[in-house]
Amino acid sequence: MSQNAHERIGLDVGTSRVVMARGVPGDYRFASQLNAFLSLPYSKLTCGVLEKENIPSTVAGDQILVYGDAAERFADVLHVETRRPMREGTLNPEEPDGPAVVRSIIELLAGGGQKSGARICYTVPAPPLGCDESPKFHQAALAQLLGELGYKARSLEEGLAVVYSELEDSNYTGIGISCGAGLSNVCLAYLSVPVVSFSLPRAGDQVDAGAARAANEVATRVRLLKEQYFSLNGQHGATTLPPKLNQALKVYYEDLIQALVQAMREAFQQRSLPRIDRPIPLVLAGGSTLPTGFRERFEQAIRQTDFPLHISQVRLASEPLHATAKGALVAALADM
Amino acid sequence: MRPCELPPDPDLLQWLDRQARQVCDPVARLRYLRQALDCPQTIITERRPRAVLMPIVVSLLLLASPAPTGSGAAAPAWHPTPLTAPARQAAPLWLVERTDAFEQYSNGLRVERDFLTAGELRRPRWAPRHEQDGAQPPDPAGIVFHASENDPAPFSPEQNVRLKREGRALLAWVRQHRLYHYLVDRFGVVHRILEDEQRAHHAGQSLWADGRWIYLDLNESFLGVCFEASTTGPEPPQLSPAQLRAGRALLEMLRARYRIAAENCVTHAQVSINPANRRIGYHTDWADGFPFAELGLPDNYARLLPSMLLFGFEADDLYARRAGARLREALELGRLEVARQAQAGGLSLARYRRWQQERYRQACLRCRGVKESSP
Repeated sequence: MSQNAHERIGLDVGTSRVVMARGVPGDYRFASQLNAFLSLPYSKLTCGVLEKENIPSTVAGDQILVYGDAAERFADVLHVETRRPMREGTLNPEEPDGPAVVRSIIELLAGGGQKSGARICYTVPAPPLGCDESPKFHQAALAQLLGELGYKARSLEEGLAVVYSELEDSNYTGIGISCGAGLSNVCLAYLSVPVVSFSLPRAGDQVDAGAARAANEVATRVRLLKEQYFSLNGQHGATTLPPKLNQALKVYYEDLIQALVQAMREAFQQRSLPRIDRPIPLVLAGGSTLPTGFRERFEQAIRQTDFPLHISQVRLASEPLHATAKGALVAALADM
Repeated sequence: MRPCELPPDPDLLQWLDRQARQVCDPVARLRYLRQALDCPQTIITERRPRAVLMPIVVSLLLLASPAPTGSGAAAPAWHPTPLTAPARQAAPLWLVERTDAFEQYSNGLRVERDFLTAGELRRPRWAPRHEQDGAQPPDPAGIVFHASENDPAPFSPEQNVRLKREGRALLAWVRQHRLYHYLVDRFGVVHRILEDEQRAHHAGQSLWADGRWIYLDLNESFLGVCFEASTTGPEPPQLSPAQLRAGRALLEMLRARYRIAAENCVTHAQVSINPANRRIGYHTDWADGFPFAELGLPDNYARLLPSMLLFGFEADDLYARRAGARLREALELGRLEVARQAQAGGLSLARYRRWQQERYRQACLRCRGVKESSP
């Protein structure tokens, strides 16, 4: 048995970022890269420069694909848009190079060396609300590429990963929500068992696209401005944003929050839930939960609704951008 | 949206909730819950085999615990799955041929007799856990797995001469000291050292228990099977594929022949004790990494140690460091259960342990009685 066989890794393959978690309880370590790439026409000279500058890239036919965080830097310099291997939480069928890019990003995060036998737990979206079909192609494609890299791979739904990451205190009972770029994933778990889980095609990308249309802006610029200045309670930097964009972002965020709360109501009312004798916590994770005031507004929306479960608290994950990967790692460690 | 079924009994779930809260390590707690409430959708790409930990824990708790006095401490009524896997329709297994040189069994197992030596007869030492009707446990009652702990050469063709030389030297040593009943060398050759009814000096101070019997001094009631391997090096212990194949066939033969329960097939580290300082694990071979599953056994690392649960033996730091994650988890659960038993009996932990020590002394006396009355 190789030393790698004892290694456990958590991997969050998100629409926006790929996050890898390693370590043990109390000493988790994270690495992440942008899940994006851009292509350049192939030339030996460009290849040489990229290699010399240590910029992650790979050759695909007559193109050079620059991927990860470097892609965004290059895009700024070259004034082009980055491309994304994933869309709405799954591999983008319009990007044939998508799986190869995701593979390269995972290799970049994992570092060199043979991975034979290391166990990896990777996150996948839950089936959409009202549908029992999981995203099988996406899941199988990731399993295949991780297998080719030498990992023993298992998948875990994103919402459940948030539960495993954040709800230890409540014995893994509660609601975990991962609100990323492409999808929002919700999981109600009871004693670690997923009772209800679903995904909703409402997340950061839809907010950005909607606000961009309304404010006549480019989505990428909206995202950058949003990450830097936007606040849902108007306490932080709101004056720095153009008023129209600020208003549009508020509208679309409000829409996202209401859609999530209504979807949870619908999903939880459809199922006969286990008798839970005390209020349960709800944890929010993912990049779209980062704007100041998001948690407060979400809690307000829950409290204003006839919600079918008693919620003890609504809180943000300790590290919203890493929670899903951490949960996947916890699952991998537990799966010995 | 895909639902996942939970056990319908809310009392059971609440009881599990309370039990799990006592496991400090978050990963161990999650593992405990997931195995207790095994759900195929928790991990959706690869369905895990049905969990065994919870039935084992609950069975042991129910079997071993004194009747709880407080209503809050009692486990709700629950019928766990059997400790052993459901009996398959096993193919008949018999001794095909025995010569001075070898034994051939119908499952393909071949046992070499070239290092066979003579020994004294075993005199089983056991005591019933509860008042019983004069029934006796099977003999031999179990198997203890050992590692030779020699410093093995790398398993490669270039090392063939060294591998052979070391194997022969080990066999000579084992025969000289009558250490085990069987030794499985690196090439998967099974050697018989002693006949099964003879005593091997393999377990020393040791104890184990199943649902009905307590066994002391396992040299007298358990067979010793040693794999040529080291469990003390920096690398995790690893058996060769040939050793795994041979070990599986050997276990199949022994369990079929003597009707040995799977729960009584355990490693030396799990049974070894030091009565002088009341510590578990005077020997620690296979404290981690024993391939129970590959040998067709349930994960017996999950079993709570009878030495801890029944007789108040404790694990020291060295033992805990040597133990793998599964054994450490069993140690933690065992500690919690002993504390719960003490609390249920209205005793301080120290006083409860003194009572357990007295129970150990009495068990030794009872076992001695069995020994003295044995033919």
